[in-house]
Amino acid sequence: MGDSLPLWWPLVLACVLFAIGVYGVLVRRNAVLVLMGVELMLNAVNINLVAFDAYFRDVVHGGQTLALFVIVIAAAEIGLALAIVLRVFRTHGHIEVDALRELADRDEPPADAGADRLDDRAEADQPQEAR
Amino acid sequence: MSWVVLLLVALPFASAALSLFVGHRGEVAERGIAVGASAIGLGLAFVVAFPHLGDATPLGHVFARTSAAGPAIELSVYVDQLTAAMLLLAHTVAFLVQVYSLGYMAGDPRYPSYAALISIFTGAMTLVVVADDLWVLLVGWELMGMCSYFLISHHWELREARAGAVKAFLMTRTADLGLLFAIIVLGVRFDTYRISTIMGEIADGGFGRDELWLPALLVTAAVIGKSAQFPLHTWLPDAMPGPTPISALIHAATMVAAGVFLVARTFPLYLSAPAALTTLALVASLTMIISATYALFTNDLKRVLAWSTVSQLAYMFGALAVGAYAAGVLHLLAHGAFKALLFLAAGSVVHAVGTTSMSAMGGLREKLPDTFVTMTVGFGALAGVVPLVGFFTKDAVIGSVWDAARHGHLVWPWVAWVLFASTVLTAVLTVAYSLRAWLMVFLTAAPPLAAEPAVSEAAEPHEAPLSMKVPLYLLTVPTLLGGLVVVYPQAVFGDGEYHLVHPGLAVVMTLLVVATALAVAWQWRRSGGRDPWHPFVLPHPAVDRVYAVGVVRPVRWLARTVRAGDRDVIDRYADGAGAATRGLGWVLRQAQTGNVQTYLMVVVVGACAIAVAAGVAS
Repeated sequence: MGDSLPLWWPLVLACVLFAIGVYGVLVRRNAVLVLMGVELMLNAVNINLVAFDAYFRDVVHGGQTLALFVIVIAAAEIGLALAIVLRVFRTHGHIEVDALRELADRDEPPADAGADRLDDRAEADQPQEAR
Repeated sequence: MSWVVLLLVALPFASAALSLFVGHRGEVAERGIAVGASAIGLGLAFVVAFPHLGDATPLGHVFARTSAAGPAIELSVYVDQLTAAMLLLAHTVAFLVQVYSLGYMAGDPRYPSYAALISIFTGAMTLVVVADDLWVLLVGWELMGMCSYFLISHHWELREARAGAVKAFLMTRTADLGLLFAIIVLGVRFDTYRISTIMGEIADGGFGRDELWLPALLVTAAVIGKSAQFPLHTWLPDAMPGPTPISALIHAATMVAAGVFLVARTFPLYLSAPAALTTLALVASLTMIISATYALFTNDLKRVLAWSTVSQLAYMFGALAVGAYAAGVLHLLAHGAFKALLFLAAGSVVHAVGTTSMSAMGGLREKLPDTFVTMTVGFGALAGVVPLVGFFTKDAVIGSVWDAARHGHLVWPWVAWVLFASTVLTAVLTVAYSLRAWLMVFLTAAPPLAAEPAVSEAAEPHEAPLSMKVPLYLLTVPTLLGGLVVVYPQAVFGDGEYHLVHPGLAVVMTLLVVATALAVAWQWRRSGGRDPWHPFVLPHPAVDRVYAVGVVRPVRWLARTVRAGDRDVIDRYADGAGAATRGLGWVLRQAQTGNVQTYLMVVVVGACAIAVAAGVAS
């Protein structure tokens, strides 16, 4: 075990990749880049799986198998997500993630309820325009 | 025989149910039911009453009784001379009113319910009269209050009809509490609710003077309400917007007569409690003068008759209060006859003229000859003109009070003297207002305003149809011949000593009647054949103002307070709970911005926080 790759190298690499992925998901406004962040996080996990598989010398290679599953799922996910992104671009004309706020829970203000409820409802029904 | 009595009670209710069931489906069938059932009722009343008039043992029968704890409540009947006479009176008047209504209410869209309510009214009065159980009597008593409410508000689109009905209902119901408590007090005391048993025990003696003052005074309170005596005398005149046949029914045979009947029925109780008799006497003396004064000045024909009823009822109570049972009851029967006659005749006048205001009448003698004849007889009886029934019974009442004032022992002499002065003064006032009403309706020249529309043929006053005339003429018979009963009261009450005829007083009273009549006639001639004196406007009795200040306004204020409390306090709690929830929801909703990345940030930070916390904790 002495001449093998130290475990902390791939772990640090995975950490860095995961952190970059989280940063990308949380901060980037472009949906495609957000998806790339997600991919980075998934692959960071894959590195972890493979590293621990090798470290524990697993005879059935559960880690590597799981990594293969993750890759397959990631491929499916990215296909679906890109399709959604495509739809969003078609309907909204942009793929800015933080501008897609139609699902915000935005009812009438509580203070003077009732009087202008209809107006608020009408406003809420209108799709939000890009800022 | 007892089953016939039960049938007599049940028949009007059955007829009312049938009448309501048929409704507007058959006009003829409807009328047939109303008149036919009341005719059968009259026949049954004769069957029940005649064997029990005069020297007859009273009929008492218990059909059923409850077996609950406490004194048993019994469905029982008791028919004695008083019951028999009242049955005849109630069913005769009810039958004549039903016949009369055929003409008077012709084309009225609410005829079915009207006829049904008259039937229920008659049934309720029958129940009161024959009941031998206090609770059964109370049922009939309250049913009458309900029927009078509905019938007074027959024209419920008129504001004053609704107001009069509510007033009548509230005043009588308030007073009815007295009867309710009296029943409870008597039931506790005697361990039975059977009237004949209770009265028998009281009559047997063993009770100290005024020992039973409480139930007696409670019954008096109920009677004051039902019979519209001071201070609850104001509901009866305000009940006048109801149809005129209903007024005849209420004033002559049912509602107000029930009050006098109750005093007569519980007479042993009163004899044992002079406190109640004194109260009754003072109330009666005050009532008869007040109401006769109102009758003297009011300008509305029906209100004149209503106030005269109040004052004549006070006569009956006055007679009963000095222990003159026969005089009081006979005056009740006589008054039933001539007041029914007067009201039905007034209905005929109103039917012809279209208003109850006496200043719009006048000169109706030629236009309404039948009404003129019959109403003259009625007014004569009311005023106490010599051969008519009112003369005899009024003389009996005044004579009894005179006897009581000189050597009576039931009430203090000064009470009897006050009562005597009131009765004499009221007799004079009665002559004056009767004569004035009669002159203004029939003899005064027709008012100029009414003469102009007389050009059009429809507005010409016309005599009533036959169905309205026949009851009028039928009612003149007892009014003309009823005096015979006073001369020979044994026919009604059985053997005994009745000091009803007072020749000396009768002569004095007749002289007073003649003198008053001459004075009124002279005044009438001097005023140019118009109203003998200026109608002094007395729109509302002063007592009403006391009620308005003391009862109506506080109740309204309380109602407003309760409404405000409901709106401003209780509703505030409900609204506040809702608003608080909404506010809290609004605060929480601020987190839901719709920005997915914000949510994710929260998830990541939360996961990190949990991880750190877990690390720190372990």
